[in-house]
Amino acid sequence: MNGDTKETIDIDTKAAGTAGDNGTGDLEPPVFAVRGLWKVFGPRADRVPGSAELAALSPAELRERTGCTAAVRDVGFDVRKGEVFVVMGLSGSGKSTLVRTLTRLIEPTSGSIAIDGEDVLSMDKARLRELRRHRAAMVFQHFGLLPHRTVLDNVAYGLEIQGVGKAQRRAKAAEVVAKVGLAGLEERRPGQLSGGQQQRVGLARALAVDPEVLLFDEPFSALDPLIRRDMQEEVIRLHREEGRTMVFITHDLNEALRLGDRIALMRDGRIVQLGTPEEIVGSPADDYVRDFVRDVPREQVMTVRTAMRPAADATEAESGPAVAPGATVSEAIEAVARSGGPVRVVEDGRCLGVVDHAALLAVVAGVPAQGVAA
Amino acid sequence: MSATVTTVSKAGTAAGDARTEDSGGLREAVRRRRKLLTGGGVLAALLVLGAVLLGGGGWPAGLTADISGPLDAANDWVVDNRDTHPLFLYFLLHLSNTATDAVDAVYQGLDALGWLGVTVAAVLVAWRAAGLGRRGLRAAVTALGAFAVCGVLGMWDATLLTIALMVVSVAVAALLGALIGLAAGLSDRVDRALRPVLDTMQVMPAFAYLLPFVLVFGTGTPAALFCTVIYAAPPMARLTALGLRGADPAALEASASLGASGLQRLWTARLPLARKQMLLGLNQTIMMALSMVVIAALVGAGGLGEEVYSALSTTDVGKAFTAGLPIVLIAVWLDRTTAAAGNGAGVPAPAGSWLHGGRAWALVAAAVAAAAAVRTATWPEAWTYDISTPVNKAQEWITANLTFTEVWAREFTLWVLNPLRDVLVWLPWWSVLLLVAAVAWLVGNWVSAVTATAAMAAIGVLGVWAKSLDTLSQVLAALVLTLVLGFLAGVLCARAGRLERWVRPLLDAMQTMPQFVYLIPVVALFGATRTSAIVAAVVYALPAVVRITTQGLREVDPAAVEASRSLGASTRQQLFGVQLPLARPALQLAVNQGVVLVLAVVVVGGLVGGGALGYDVIKGLSRGEMGLGMTAGIAIVCLGLVLDRVTQRTSRTPR
Repeated sequence: MNGDTKETIDIDTKAAGTAGDNGTGDLEPPVFAVRGLWKVFGPRADRVPGSAELAALSPAELRERTGCTAAVRDVGFDVRKGEVFVVMGLSGSGKSTLVRTLTRLIEPTSGSIAIDGEDVLSMDKARLRELRRHRAAMVFQHFGLLPHRTVLDNVAYGLEIQGVGKAQRRAKAAEVVAKVGLAGLEERRPGQLSGGQQQRVGLARALAVDPEVLLFDEPFSALDPLIRRDMQEEVIRLHREEGRTMVFITHDLNEALRLGDRIALMRDGRIVQLGTPEEIVGSPADDYVRDFVRDVPREQVMTVRTAMRPAADATEAESGPAVAPGATVSEAIEAVARSGGPVRVVEDGRCLGVVDHAALLAVVAGVPAQGVAA
Repeated sequence: MSATVTTVSKAGTAAGDARTEDSGGLREAVRRRRKLLTGGGVLAALLVLGAVLLGGGGWPAGLTADISGPLDAANDWVVDNRDTHPLFLYFLLHLSNTATDAVDAVYQGLDALGWLGVTVAAVLVAWRAAGLGRRGLRAAVTALGAFAVCGVLGMWDATLLTIALMVVSVAVAALLGALIGLAAGLSDRVDRALRPVLDTMQVMPAFAYLLPFVLVFGTGTPAALFCTVIYAAPPMARLTALGLRGADPAALEASASLGASGLQRLWTARLPLARKQMLLGLNQTIMMALSMVVIAALVGAGGLGEEVYSALSTTDVGKAFTAGLPIVLIAVWLDRTTAAAGNGAGVPAPAGSWLHGGRAWALVAAAVAAAAAVRTATWPEAWTYDISTPVNKAQEWITANLTFTEVWAREFTLWVLNPLRDVLVWLPWWSVLLLVAAVAWLVGNWVSAVTATAAMAAIGVLGVWAKSLDTLSQVLAALVLTLVLGFLAGVLCARAGRLERWVRPLLDAMQTMPQFVYLIPVVALFGATRTSAIVAAVVYALPAVVRITTQGLREVDPAAVEASRSLGASTRQQLFGVQLPLARPALQLAVNQGVVLVLAVVVVGGLVGGGALGYDVIKGLSRGEMGLGMTAGIAIVCLGLVLDRVTQRTSRTPR
């Protein structure tokens, strides 16, 4: 029991620590604060999180001993306002269960969840409905559209549940339909749309209720690669325009890297690493993560900040092409290739350092740069 | 048409079986063989033991319990107390009065509409319900034709009475079924409890439902109405539950994620998603109600069924035809209209059409009101045409010139039915029980074996052993004929697409006909013999068997067939090596359906010389001998259970 508590605290401090990185100016509570969350399926599931012995078992051993499956094990993280928080993992890693526990579509076994500092698990039915109606809306992998309704009425469905009048909800829905690029298809039925279009309807339905957080459960996994890319861009655009907080579940690493401000990588119900795409690719926490990110084109994820070294002299600091510190290594490679020499990393007119071909190559190769060490 | 119902319900199981077959094929085969070996060993041992200890012969008289005495007493008590006992005064009497009043009110209403009003209403409702457009037009033309012929044949009043009975019974059955289905769809516990009940209700022949209601309500409209409701409600209940359970889980979850309350979820997502299944259930409920309303003529329902019944009892084929034709047409009209409504569900109305939603219904109402205002009363006498005389003449000609039908019937009785019955009756009673147990155990599991044996033993205890075996011999003969013809036709249909396109509409139409009408042409050709009942049963059961066989063969994994063709298998090798083995679950389902349908008609065949149990039911009904009729009715139910369990493959493991 003792050991168990200690472990929870460890996670807590770790999660809080990462949250603290955001800077001291951020006093608002996180949109979601999750601590020590467990979801165990099976007979007498609630004994598992409480017992240090059972909690330490591997999934296979646990199933053998108790007949239970732990989908989410002792997970803790914060989702900050305005960020895209990606939970990524292979199928069966518990990520879909995790996102459903956030609004208690699946009741968690133990732990705590707070939305804007308000405890979700102690909410009564009415309050919980209120949360689902106004604060968090979800987009599903299999769309979940109502086949007997038109696109417009599907989009207006959330508002209808809230009790919004017909004319008003249809006006709002028409607006959102246009926003996701479905103008002109309002009177179609879901069955008459392509997969991508259907998911746009699903997205519009979630947007129509103007939620504080959008929850995406593998929304694009059922789509063709090209359509998937379009939809990812749509999400990036929406996020840029509205700055809405998003929790995004995916099993596709590239999707996670493209969309995520921060990524939580899950395995067997636990978060094995939580960090920015750069941190995940640049410094994998263990062999599992390393294996996972091995084929990632590093030059497209890593920024020049990791590859830069101090300027050797004034000439280097004063002249030559400049790139921003947030630029990717691949952009810097292009600049270096064009100029033939080192490139300055400039922020607000101040030179932070320089990158040269050796350092950039080291990033691509994934080995420590020798120039920096020296 | 109970075929369609059970087909839907059991097709799922068949598909499930097919899947297990794929995955555990080898294990399954090994298990089956082991089961066969142990079963055979035990059976042989028991046979020897039985022969030594029990000897041969029919059911021992010492083991019977005559229940006709108490039943007659109960009937007498009901008759004596109907006007005085509080149970009747405060409950059952109200029920039966309400039933009579409701049917009367609908009948008066229809009568007040006049023939023009009723016809216009039928045509326009068909048109609107089938979704306007071309499909609606077809349904409307069918309706017009059906009602015009009913009038021309001089059956207008009988048709109205039948429709009035239908309106009330379908309304009640659909409501009841929907409520039960709702409970079963939303609660797992209710579903588990109801499923076996609904399953059993669907294998019971319509005939068996009549007697208990007569016992309580006496003959007349209430008994007819209530047994129709009970007979017709199960498909609605089952398909509603199925629709509610089968709803897309993603849509339901989406609804929950948007904060819908339970009731909101039911209204906005669950029920609309189940709509198609519910309309299918309504279609089947309507068709079953029609079938029962016609048979309920035996308990005084009146209407078209009454006309057929009285014509059949005097073997007046012309009159029977005159009344049978309207039944067929009404069945076609109802089926077309409701099936089209079901298929059209969810398809948006043609865009830009001003006839849209409620407006079309308003138009229908206005037109019906206008037609009713003409005050046309009943169908004009001058516009009727009597076909019974020409039909009777034709029938006389047939019996005079085509003597081979009667000869054939006689030979069949002499060389097939009689020996079969004699063998069954000769078999020692315990060996029949053993046989039933063994087959049920091999086909299903030990639960079905116990059920089947208990049901068979109950027949013996009731003291109708010999009669039941007589009925059984008829069922077996009809079943063999049905299966041989049905499998052949099914294989042909599955192989030749064009043939199937031709045969399909015919099969569909045949499956919607009430059992009763099949007796009419059969009597015309074969007279009143046991053979005619068997022929009617074969004709009635054939469509379902052909259809299930065709479907089963069609649904065989095309990759498997292609693989066998790529290995150079001949057509014959493909059929026997791949298609038939893979379609085995469907074939087994066809056998099960065939047996249930055959039994239903064989017992109704008591009306046309089938004898045995069916005849006892009719005698009980017509002479008020409740004990005799009820005993036979219970025996029919038991026989139905035995036959169902012996042919139904269960993959469920006993709990």
